Amino acid sequence: MIRIATLAAAALMALTAVPARADDATITLTFETGATTGKVMVALFNSEGSYQSSQPVAAQQIDASGSVVAVFDHLPPGDYAVKAFHDVNGDGQMNTNPFGIPVEPYAFSNNAVGNMGPASWARAHFTVSGDTAQTISIR
Amino acid sequence: MLASRRSFLMGAAALSAAVVTPETVRAMAAMQASADWALATADLEGDVARRVMQRVHGRAPAGLEGALFRNGPGKFRRPGGSATHWFDGDGLMRAFRVRDGQATLEARFADTPKRRWESEIDAVVTPGFGTPGGERARIGSPNDANAANTAVMAAGDEVWALWEGGSPMAMDAGDLSTKRFVTLRDDLKGMPFQAHPRYDPDGTVWNIGLWGDQMIVWRLNADRSLHTAEVVPLPRASYMHDFTATARHLVIVMQPWVFDHHTMPYAAQFAWKPELGTQVMVIDKADLSRTRIFELPTFSYFHLGDAWEDGSGTIRFDVAAGKDVQFAMEGARVMVEGRGTVPGEPAQLSLITLHTDGRAEMTSSGITAEFPRSDPRRAGLARRYTAHVAGERGGRPLPTGLAVHDWETGRSDAFDFGDGVIMEEAVWVPKPGRSGERDAWLVAPAINLRAGVTELHAFDAARVADGPVASWRADIALPAGFHGLWVG
Repeated sequence: MIRIATLAAAALMALTAVPARADDATITLTFETGATTGKVMVALFNSEGSYQSSQPVAAQQIDASGSVVAVFDHLPPGDYAVKAFHDVNGDGQMNTNPFGIPVEPYAFSNNAVGNMGPASWARAHFTVSGDTAQTISIR
Repeated sequence: MLASRRSFLMGAAALSAAVVTPETVRAMAAMQASADWALATADLEGDVARRVMQRVHGRAPAGLEGALFRNGPGKFRRPGGSATHWFDGDGLMRAFRVRDGQATLEARFADTPKRRWESEIDAVVTPGFGTPGGERARIGSPNDANAANTAVMAAGDEVWALWEGGSPMAMDAGDLSTKRFVTLRDDLKGMPFQAHPRYDPDGTVWNIGLWGDQMIVWRLNADRSLHTAEVVPLPRASYMHDFTATARHLVIVMQPWVFDHHTMPYAAQFAWKPELGTQVMVIDKADLSRTRIFELPTFSYFHLGDAWEDGSGTIRFDVAAGKDVQFAMEGARVMVEGRGTVPGEPAQLSLITLHTDGRAEMTSSGITAEFPRSDPRRAGLARRYTAHVAGERGGRPLPTGLAVHDWETGRSDAFDFGDGVIMEEAVWVPKPGRSGERDAWLVAPAINLRAGVTELHAFDAARVADGPVASWRADIALPAGFHGLWVG
């Protein structure tokens, strides 16, 4: 059952930065991590389609040694969702155990949890109409 | 009777805001008709603080000092949806502590992500072994579905609540508070760790975890740190609740209940294919790539006894062998309903012999048995006796007595409490300073259905038919547990 989660988690590894569209809103994401090594990789999506195909509208890598805050600004109002994983050992990959289950923490916006897979857009998306902040536990 | 009253009150509470329809009346009537054994799967609504048990029979033998930790499901039903299979209730860790002739009992639920979420929404939504689950399940990793409800391992000042599809859950042995899921090595986080580890005389622990036709073999040091973990391919993707081991070999028993298709609940993934027979794979502990395959007639099972081998290399072990998987698929569902007839025949204690020339044979004792356990001083070594629960009959689930089977003479030393008692698994407690195989007590709880309470019994392993040498009674009933461990 967790194979689905693995596939989705693997998609998180391909985080590529896409230029944000100029606009006014800012999303501030504060991550609560269980470790202070490596980086938290954060991908922002602006539609269900982009979320499912893991084509982020923006992405950031935040050093986990201090406070882990990702700020996405100049965003147009709309619905957004976030996928993140903590590359604890800094090897640039989401490590898995021998049966393919992620061993590094991952999380979604709204602290959403999936149902034998990644959290769905329905669970993870949130509406942005001005400056928006979330605290996401990634342990 | 207590079980009926409890079920009735629960049902009434759930219906308090509803109109009483003819269906409701019928449902209430059905609840009234709960089976006398329904206390075995009643819900416990919360943790049970330590309380003194009253000694009601005999005297505590001098030297019987320690704690019996037991695990098993303790909560099945919630207003928004319930577990529908015996194996899917929330893990409840019990501690029966015996000291200076006095006994106490306490119990705490393992504080799992599953139980937290389901408590919050007041509904069982997580899929399990036989429970389909619902849309609101939150499963981001196997441990999010971990019920921590099957067995116990001792680890220093902790007890580990074992499941089979995820990690051990560490609990404090002193107060049973939940600590954390155990990760034995960072890169092995979340790997399955089954409920029936086997022990070497030097304290080494062996266990397995299954993933289709792959198996991780865990080898832990006596201090419960990881020695090694290795993935071993299996010849078939069989459902296995147990494995066994001799001093030199692991013995993997692959019943013909094999993976068929991905679905939930978990057990529905497997198809019973009796035409395949049962296969046994023997693995060299010193080199996990060295394996041998044996073929046996078809049988089903949940539990094996410790294995041993003689000087020639012939391997023997016992099994509580069934004919099919009716209990697993249907009987365990009836158990949670608390009424009706449990289909299938009870398992029988059988002895399997794996000869060095590749032949394998199976001999049935003809005795109804489950939960085989043997002298821990002889784990993996030659032995003569197997303790097991007994008295289960077709149609009525759950055992009513305890027996020790003598494989040398074929004799069974048995005691039966009758239908007023549900007997739980017994553990061997070696008598201090003694080394004979039956120089031990067998310690087990039972549910006294007439009094509606849980009791603790200690038998002399050499004289089971005499009945318990000491019995204590609690002022409450806990649902029937699965597996336990004595910590002296």
